[in-house]
Amino acid sequence: MIQTLAFYLFALLVIASGVFTITARNPVHSVLWLIMAFFNAAGLMVLVGAEFIAMLLVIVYVGAVAVLFLFVVMMLNIDFAEMRAGFIKNFPLGIAIALVLLAELVLGIGAYKAGALELGVADGSAAPMIGESNITSLGTLLYSKYIFLFEAAGIILLVAMIGAIVLTLEKSAADVRGQQDIGKQNRRRPEDATEMQNPEVGKGVEL
Amino acid sequence: MDFLLSFQLSAPEIILAVAGLVLLMVAAFAGNKSAQTVTYLAIASLVAAGAVVVELFTNDALSQGADAWSGLYRMDAFGNFTKLLIYLATIGCLIVTPKFFDAKGEYRPEYPVLMIFGAVGMGIMVSAVDLMTLYIGLELSSLSSYVLASYSRSDERSAEAGLKYFVLGALASGILLYGMSLVYGFTGSTSYLGIRAALADGMGTGALFGVVFVLAGLAFKIAAVPFHMWTPDVYEGAPTPVTAFFATAPKVAAIAITMRIALDPFGAQSDAWQQIIIFAALASIVVGALGAIGQENIKRLLAYSSINNVGFILVGLAAATEAGAAAMLVYLAIYVAMSLGSFVAVLMLRDKDGNQVENISDIAGLSRSHGLLALCLAIMMLSLAGIPPLFGFWGKFVVFQAAVQADMIILAALGIAASVIGAFYYLKIVKIMYFDDPADVVEAKGETSRWVVLLVTTIFVSPLGYLLTPWLGDLAARAASAMFFVI
Amino acid sequence: MLHTSILLIVFLPLLAAIVGGLGNRAFGNTVVKTITTGSLFVSCLLSWPIFYGFISGTATAEVVPVLQWVQSGNLSFDWALRVDTLTAVMLVVITTVSALVHLYSWGYMDEDPDQPRFFAYLSLFTFAMLMLVTADNLVQMFFGWEGVGLASYLLIGFWFKKPTANAAAIKAFVVNRVGDLGFMLGIFGTFIVFGTTSIPEILEAAPTMSGATIGFMGYRMHTMDILCILLFIGAMGKSAQLGLHTWLPDAMEGPTPVSALIHAATMVTAGVFMVCRLSPMFEAAPVALAMVTFVGAATCIFAATIGTTQWDIKRVIAYSTCSQLGYMFFAAGVGAYGVAMFHLFTHAFFKALLFLGAGSVIHAMHHEQDMRYYGGLRKKIPITFWAMMFGTLAITGVGVYHLGAGFAGFWSKDAILEVAFARGTGLGTFAFWMGVFAALLTSFYSWRLMFLTFWGKPRWIESEHIQHSVHKTPEGAGEDTTGGYQPHESPVSMLVPLGVLSLGAIFAGQVFAPSFLDDAAFWGSSIFFNANLIDAMHAVPYWVKYSAFVVMLLGLFGAWLAYIKDTSIPGKFVDQFRYVHRFVFNKWYFDELYNFLFVRPAFWLGRKFWIIGDQGIIDRFGPNGAAWVVQKGTVAAKKIQSGYLNSYALVMILGVVAAVTWVLM
Repeated sequence: MIQTLAFYLFALLVIASGVFTITARNPVHSVLWLIMAFFNAAGLMVLVGAEFIAMLLVIVYVGAVAVLFLFVVMMLNIDFAEMRAGFIKNFPLGIAIALVLLAELVLGIGAYKAGALELGVADGSAAPMIGESNITSLGTLLYSKYIFLFEAAGIILLVAMIGAIVLTLEKSAADVRGQQDIGKQNRRRPEDATEMQNPEVGKGVEL
Repeated sequence: MDFLLSFQLSAPEIILAVAGLVLLMVAAFAGNKSAQTVTYLAIASLVAAGAVVVELFTNDALSQGADAWSGLYRMDAFGNFTKLLIYLATIGCLIVTPKFFDAKGEYRPEYPVLMIFGAVGMGIMVSAVDLMTLYIGLELSSLSSYVLASYSRSDERSAEAGLKYFVLGALASGILLYGMSLVYGFTGSTSYLGIRAALADGMGTGALFGVVFVLAGLAFKIAAVPFHMWTPDVYEGAPTPVTAFFATAPKVAAIAITMRIALDPFGAQSDAWQQIIIFAALASIVVGALGAIGQENIKRLLAYSSINNVGFILVGLAAATEAGAAAMLVYLAIYVAMSLGSFVAVLMLRDKDGNQVENISDIAGLSRSHGLLALCLAIMMLSLAGIPPLFGFWGKFVVFQAAVQADMIILAALGIAASVIGAFYYLKIVKIMYFDDPADVVEAKGETSRWVVLLVTTIFVSPLGYLLTPWLGDLAARAASAMFFVI
Repeated sequence: MLHTSILLIVFLPLLAAIVGGLGNRAFGNTVVKTITTGSLFVSCLLSWPIFYGFISGTATAEVVPVLQWVQSGNLSFDWALRVDTLTAVMLVVITTVSALVHLYSWGYMDEDPDQPRFFAYLSLFTFAMLMLVTADNLVQMFFGWEGVGLASYLLIGFWFKKPTANAAAIKAFVVNRVGDLGFMLGIFGTFIVFGTTSIPEILEAAPTMSGATIGFMGYRMHTMDILCILLFIGAMGKSAQLGLHTWLPDAMEGPTPVSALIHAATMVTAGVFMVCRLSPMFEAAPVALAMVTFVGAATCIFAATIGTTQWDIKRVIAYSTCSQLGYMFFAAGVGAYGVAMFHLFTHAFFKALLFLGAGSVIHAMHHEQDMRYYGGLRKKIPITFWAMMFGTLAITGVGVYHLGAGFAGFWSKDAILEVAFARGTGLGTFAFWMGVFAALLTSFYSWRLMFLTFWGKPRWIESEHIQHSVHKTPEGAGEDTTGGYQPHESPVSMLVPLGVLSLGAIFAGQVFAPSFLDDAAFWGSSIFFNANLIDAMHAVPYWVKYSAFVVMLLGLFGAWLAYIKDTSIPGKFVDQFRYVHRFVFNKWYFDELYNFLFVRPAFWLGRKFWIIGDQGIIDRFGPNGAAWVVQKGTVAAKKIQSGYLNSYALVMILGVVAAVTWVLM
C-alpha cells in the first residue's frame, strides 16, 4: 500500500518536474526542476530495489551534472526568447508529431492491456546474485562478463576528456605574451630603453 | 570466459587502444612538436592492427569465426573485411592530414590519437554481436568524430559543424538507445543471438517499434535520407581531412553495423524493415542527386554525393540476400577508394595563400594548369557517376544485380534512372575543369604523400581495378556469408 | 600465290586509306599521295595476272577466307574473298581505273589544301568496291555496297564548303538509301527463303525455287520474282537507273577524278555486277528480268535525250553514263550477262577516259565547265583532244563489222544490240530499238561535246572563270573572244592516265571480245552463260549488225551540221520545239516531280514530327520535363537545408514518426 502510494507520488512528481523544466521561463528554474526530476527518479529506483542506481542518480546527476548545468546557465546569458521564436515557428508541426506519437503509444498500451503485446523474458544472463547487494552484483558483472564494455566505456570518457581539452585549451595566449625572463630584465640598460631626441621647432618626434 | 582467446580475437582493438593510450602519453610529454612523430606511430599501429586482422582473416582454424568476451564480441570474416577497409581509410586520411593543418600551425598530436580511438570504436562496432557492444563502439567513434569535426578552432564553420554533429548525433543516439531498450524489453535479450531466437517465430508490435527506432538511429550514422540533414553542413564545415575521414571510415563502420543488425538479429523479420530500407535507398539516391546539383561548394557537393552513394548501397540491403550483402561490401570497398581519392584531390586544391579552395567555380580550367590533378579528379567523378570503364560502375552493377536477383526489378530500375540525375553534377565538375575558361585560383603544390594516396586510389578505380574483382568478390562473399552463418 | 595477292589487292588500299587518313597532317601531302597511289598501283599490277589467268584458262575460282564474322543461330557468314572470272574482271577494272585516277589526281588536285584526305577517301572507296566484288555472301556484298556509298558521299561532298556539293552529297546518299532499302529487303528475303546468305549456295538452290510463291504485301507472288525485283531496286539506286537516277548528275559536284572513278567506271556499275553475280537467281525470275530489261532500255533512251541538251561538259558525260548503264542492264535483262559485263568492262575504260579528258579540259579552262564557253581548243591542248577523241570514238561505237575492227564501244555496244534483237521477245526487240535510237543520240551528244569543245571559234571570254583569270569583261576584250587567255596542256601526271586509258578505249574491245562474248569456259560458273543466245547473237541479219554504225554516222552528221556547219540550227530547233526542249532540258522534270511528291511531303511530315512530336511531346515531357523536375527538386532540396539545427532535428523526428506509422499500418 505504501509502496503504491510512493510510486504514484514519485511518478507524478517526475512528470510534473519534467513539464516544468520545459515550460519554466527562467532557465535557472528549469535546471532546478530538472534536479527535482532526478531526485524523484532516484526515489523510483529505490522502489524497484535498485538502490545503487538511485544513489548514482543523486550523486552523479544531481551532484555533478545538474550543478554543472546550473553554473553554465547562470554564467552564460542565454536569450531564451530568441530560442522560443524558432520553437514557435515549428510548433504546430511539433504538436502534430507529438499527437501522432501519442496515438501510437495509446495503441501500444491498448495492445499491451489486451494481451496482444508480450514482453520478452530476460535470458537471465545478467540476473542479480541472490543474497548479495546491488553493488556487489553490478560490480561482479561489470568486472567479469562486461569487462570489455566497461573498459571501452572508460576509453569513451577518455576521448571526451581529450576532446574537451583539445577544443578549449588555449596555449597560444601564453606563447604570445611570453614568459618572464629575469636575466633578460636584469641585463636591460637605460640606453636600450631610452633615447635622446632633439626635435626641431614645429616638428614632432618620430618614434 | 576464456580471456586468452578473447584477447586474441579482439587483438586489433586491444592493440589500437593500447597504442592510443601510449601515443596520448607521448603527446602529453613531448608536446605539439611530436605531432608528426605521433602521426607516423599512429599509422604504424594501424598497420599492425591491420596485420593482425589479416592474420585472423587467413587463420584456417578461425575461418568460421569465434565469439569473445562472453558473447559480446565476434571475430568473423565480416568484421575482418570491414575492419580492413576502416583501417585502410583511416591510414589514408592520416597520411594526407598533417600538411593541411601545418599551414595554420594547428596540427597537434591529439589528432592522430583521436583517429586511433575512433578506429577502435569502429572496430568494436563492426565486431559487435550485442546491442551494448554496438552502442559502446558507436559512441566511442562518434565522440571522436564530434571532436574532430570542430578541430579547427579558428574556423567558425568547423565549430558549427562539430556542434551540429554533436547535437543531432545525441538525438540519434537517443533514438537508437530507445529502440534498443524496446528490443530488449520485447525480446529479453541484447545479444544478436538471443534476439534472433526470440524473433524467429514472429515479431510483435513492440519489437517492431524497437527495430524501426534502431534503424532510424543507424540511418543517422550512415546519413540516409531523411536522417541526412547534418551531412552537408558537417562535411562543409569540418576541416577537409576530417571530412575525408567522415566520408570513408565511419561510413563503412555505420553501414556495416546497419547491415549486420538488419540481417543478423532482425534477419528473420526482413519483411518488417525492407520497405523502410527501400524508401531510404530511393530517397537517398534522389535527394543526394538533387541536392548536389545546386551546390557551389565542392565539399558540400561531395557530401550529397555520399548521401547518393549510401542510397545505392542500401539497394543491396533492400535485397536482404547474401548476394546483396556481398554486393554492398564490394560497393563499400570501391566507394571508400573513390571518396578518399576525391577528397584528397580536393585537399590538394589550395590557393596561393595555402587556403583550401572549395568553390567549384574556382577549379575552372584546372586541366590546363594542373593536368594530372584534374585528370585524377575527373576519373574519380566519372567513377562516382558509374561510367562503365571505371571501377565505380562495377559497384553499382553488383548492387543492382543483387536487387534484380531478389526480384526487385522496379527498385533497380528506379535506382538506375535516378543515377542519371547524379551523373549530371559529376559531369559538371569534369566539364568545368576541362572546358571552362581557367579561373587560375588553384596553386596546387606537389606533396608526395598526397600524390601517393591519390594515385593509388585513382589506379584502383581505373579500369585496372577490374583485375581485382575476383579477389574482392571472393572476400566480400566470405564476409557476407559470415552473417548468414546458421547458428 | 593467289591467296596472298588477293589479300594484298583488297587490303592494301584499306591500309593506305588508314595511314593516309590518320596520318593526314603528320605525313604531309607527298607522302600520303605516294603511299595511296603506290599501293593502288601494286594492287593493279597484282590484279592483271589474276585476270590473265582466267583469260588463258589456267586459273580456277577460289574462295579465300579472311575472318569469321557472324555466328548466330542458323545465320552464319564469314569475311571471305571470292575470286572467279566475274571478280577478276571487276578487279582489273577497279584497280586499273583507280590507280590511274590516283595518279591523275596528283595533277588535278595539285592546288587543293586537303589532298591527303582526298587520296585517303579514294583509297577507302577502292577498298570498299573491292570488298563488294569479292564478296562471297550477300552481307559482305552489302558491306561493300554501303562502303562505296559512304565513300561516294564523302567524295561528292569533298569540297564541303560548297553548298551545292553538300546538297549533292546528301542527295546521292538519300536516293541511294531508297535503293538500299530494296537491296536489304532482298537480302532479308533471300535469307528467309534460302536460309543462307552464301552466294554460291543461293545460286545453286535458285533454279529449284523457280515457280515457288510467297505472300508479299497481301499478294501471292513468285518468290524469285519478288526477291529479284527487290535486289534490282538496290541495283537501280546504285546504278542510277530511271527513277533513282536523279543523284548521278548532281554528283558531278565532286572533283572530276571522283566522277571518273566512282560515277563512271566502278561504283555505278555495282548494280550491273550484282545482277550478273546473281544471274542464276534472275534466270529463275522472268518477271524481274523483264523489269530489268525494260528499266534498262528506258534509262538508256531517257538519259540519252537529256544528254543532248545539257551544257555542262560533266553533266553530258554523266547522262551518257546513265544511258550506257541502261545498255548494260537490258543486256543482262535479255539474259546476256557476259555481254553486259563486257560492256561494263569497255565502258569503264572509255568513260573514265572521257571524264578524265573532260577534267583535263576543265583544268585547262580555269575550272569552266560550260561548253558554251569553250571552242577551238583542239590546237591548244592537243593531247587532251586526242584522248577525248579516242573516248568519243569508243563510246559512239566506231567500227566496221566486216573489217572485224573497231573501238572498244563498237564491240560491246553492238553485241548488246544484237543480243537484244536475237532474244526475239517483244521486250527484247523493244530494247533493241531503244538501244539503236539511244546510239543515235549518243553519237549526237558525244560529237556535240567534241565540236563545242574543240572546234569552232573560241568563246572563252564569255566565261566568268576566264574573266576572273584575265581580269577582263567581254566588252573589254572586244574582238578577241579568247580574252587573251592561254589554255595550257595538263601536267604529265594527268596525261599518262589519259594515254593508258586511250589504249583501253581503242583495244579493250578488240582484244577481249572473244573471251567475254563467246567463251563459256572463260566465264565458268561465275555467271549464267546462255550459249544458244550467243550463237543467235552472231547469226542476226546484217542490217542489225550495221544499224549501230549507221546511226552513229547519222548522229555524227547531225552534230556536224548543227555545231560546225550552221551553228544557228540548235537555236532554231529549240524555238521550233520549245516545249519538248524545255521538257528534256529540265531532265524530264524528275527533280521537280520528286520534290513535289516526296521531298516536300517528307519535309512537311518531318517538321510536324519535329515540332509536335519531338519538341511538343518527347522533349517537353522527356528531357526538358525531367530537367524541370530536377531543377525544382534542387531548389526544394536547398530550401529544406536551412542550416537550422531545430529544423534538422524536426526532419529526423518526422522521419522516425513516419517510419513508425508506416510499419504500424
